[in-house]
Amino acid sequence: MAFALAGLGLCLGVAADDKPYQVAGGNKVDKTTLEGWRTWRALACERCHGARQEGMVGPSLIESLKRLSKDEFKETVLKGRLDKGMPNFDGSKMVTENIDGLYAYLKGRSDGAIQPGHLQELK
Amino acid sequence: MVLTRMCTWGVLFGLAALPGLALANSEVIKLSQDANNWAMQAGNMQNHRYSSLKQISTHNVKDLRVAWTFSTGVLRGHEGGPLVIGDTLYIHSPFPNKVFAIALADQHIKWKYEPKQDPTVIPVMCCDTVNRGLAYADGKIFLQQADTNLVALDARTGKELWKVKNGDPKKGETNTNAPHVFKDKVITGISGGEFGVRGYVAAYDIKTGKQVWKAYSTGPDAEMLIDPDNTMTWTDGKMAPVGRDSSLKTWQGDQWKIGGGTTWGWYSYDPKLNLMYYGSGNPSTWNPTQRPGDNKWSMTIWARDVDTGEAKWVYQMTPHDEWDFDGVNEMILADGVNVKGTPRNVVVHFDRNGFGYTLDRATGELLVAAKYDPKVNWATHVDMRTGRPQVVAKYSTQVQGPDVDTKGVCPAALGSKDQQPAAYNPGNKMFYVPTNHVCMNYEPFKVEYTAGQPYVGATLSMFPAPGSHGGMGNFIMWDAGTGKIVKSKPEKFSVWSGALVTAGGVACYGTLEGYLKCVDANDISRELYKFKTPSGIIGNVNTWEYKGKQYIGVLSGIGGWAGIGLAAGLEKDTDGLGAVGGYKELSKYTELGGVLTVFSLP
Repeated sequence: MAFALAGLGLCLGVAADDKPYQVAGGNKVDKTTLEGWRTWRALACERCHGARQEGMVGPSLIESLKRLSKDEFKETVLKGRLDKGMPNFDGSKMVTENIDGLYAYLKGRSDGAIQPGHLQELK
Repeated sequence: MVLTRMCTWGVLFGLAALPGLALANSEVIKLSQDANNWAMQAGNMQNHRYSSLKQISTHNVKDLRVAWTFSTGVLRGHEGGPLVIGDTLYIHSPFPNKVFAIALADQHIKWKYEPKQDPTVIPVMCCDTVNRGLAYADGKIFLQQADTNLVALDARTGKELWKVKNGDPKKGETNTNAPHVFKDKVITGISGGEFGVRGYVAAYDIKTGKQVWKAYSTGPDAEMLIDPDNTMTWTDGKMAPVGRDSSLKTWQGDQWKIGGGTTWGWYSYDPKLNLMYYGSGNPSTWNPTQRPGDNKWSMTIWARDVDTGEAKWVYQMTPHDEWDFDGVNEMILADGVNVKGTPRNVVVHFDRNGFGYTLDRATGELLVAAKYDPKVNWATHVDMRTGRPQVVAKYSTQVQGPDVDTKGVCPAALGSKDQQPAAYNPGNKMFYVPTNHVCMNYEPFKVEYTAGQPYVGATLSMFPAPGSHGGMGNFIMWDAGTGKIVKSKPEKFSVWSGALVTAGGVACYGTLEGYLKCVDANDISRELYKFKTPSGIIGNVNTWEYKGKQYIGVLSGIGGWAGIGLAAGLEKDTDGLGAVGGYKELSKYTELGGVLTVFSLP
């Protein structure tokens, strides 16, 4: 379900109603998005992008996710932007397996629908 | 005055004249004996950060003014400090690791060196791209680049004389430490405990750059240069051999291969014993349940023979770390410290774990282990018979388990002190220690290892020590013989700057807001001088004399872990008892940018 929604999000670009994530109460999310958050956490993305994704050494993902298409996002994460200091994460099994969830999570953060910090599974 | 000074140093360095010691060592020792110079990052091989200069004193320090300034042209965190040899000052920058040689006469740039480094090294050193400074010996300036290249430059021209690769950034190996010259070797370590790097120190010939020895922190005895029968450790109240496979037995499977124990701190050297001292860092990952066992020899004080690298003794401070309490902080060598009525020649170490340790530096005997911040709560005390900290279950992230937020652990992961080095005054035998006063919540979680990717496995939030003065730092005066805080001066932010103490009776340090402060070394609560430098200070304060005038120099340039990482992992604005607010407040005082500020009397 989440995967299908993610696909739809890609097709329709930034259309407001087609979100790649499901969220309730700001901190309960669908399984795919939850795995995306776990991936964010495990790869320590906050070390550059900040615990609230607002940017530190790296850019604000709250802003970036408003501009990047899903394909551009995937390209950036997997291939990196080496000249700017963003590593390529295509060597990480966790990232390659959960890239849709990672996109969903960060999109939800960018939209303001998902809160920063700890998430739980929506049941 | 000069005679007194030479007498003191003569006792300390009397051995330099003996045959058998390499020329470079005698040269550096001689240079560091002359208080006109600041020839090593710590001023001398004992890591004292002490100067016998006394032109600037408690009486006139209030009159200090800025003599000159110099911009490195680089943003981000500026750690370390300048070297001064004769009429030249050498200063470095964070990545891209520029080096400048500056003429003291008129401050013109004699030469500049800027290495070409692959920028992909930046994200693998994400705590910040700091560099802790240069070393000098044999007419050469040694630079330990971020990308692990160790470079020797001609001190007169800046020309590259040799270059050697010390590690592999593709595996997450980087360098932030200063190289250390002991005897005819330049000795360096490695960073990357958050990337599953297996820590080591390596010694290179200062003439050629050829590797002489390399010793790992974990793994088989031979690769650690540990002799099972002769490398000693504190065991049941006495020193005993470590025995076979002392590291391998304390890890599950092959975890030791990605087990951390990195070595990015400040080393020291005792010429008489021919031993060097340094600490190894945290075991990887930060999730303790993924690595059962004591994880030796992470979190360990090491004494090694400089010629062979062989370990003479080891002492593990934090077995099976659960909080990221790296053991890398500086090792200070002090003579004649009164321990229970007996003068001892000791190594003193202020660990991230909040305990100040005093050990006999020849034998490795544990003499004192005491909290240097009264708020330290993860352990009640160190059992002096076993040498092990007595861990409090409530603050054990192993006991609380993965995916549980263990709350209120003091100190925080950045320790009661991080790399910011303390100073030692051989006159009054007191230690001047810049500290953090920060606690944390710590939630470990499972992570998988991928070479070159972060391998952390914990989310943290940090906040000022509760029930205290509300600030995040203290500058303290410490008695290493008794293990007691003599005096403590509260600071609003962590004191992330290395201290200086002088025969003029002043102790100086920098603050994260950007103040250089000088206090009365006999009563550190008496602040005698402060000046706001262009940015927050995480550099170390040094002093030298040129043409009859004493100067004090310090790098400003906010960054480092304190500057950029502290708010990581906070769940809500209100979490962390105001830590986010507290550290965000730094932006009220300071912005990025590296500047060396040099002070003197009018």
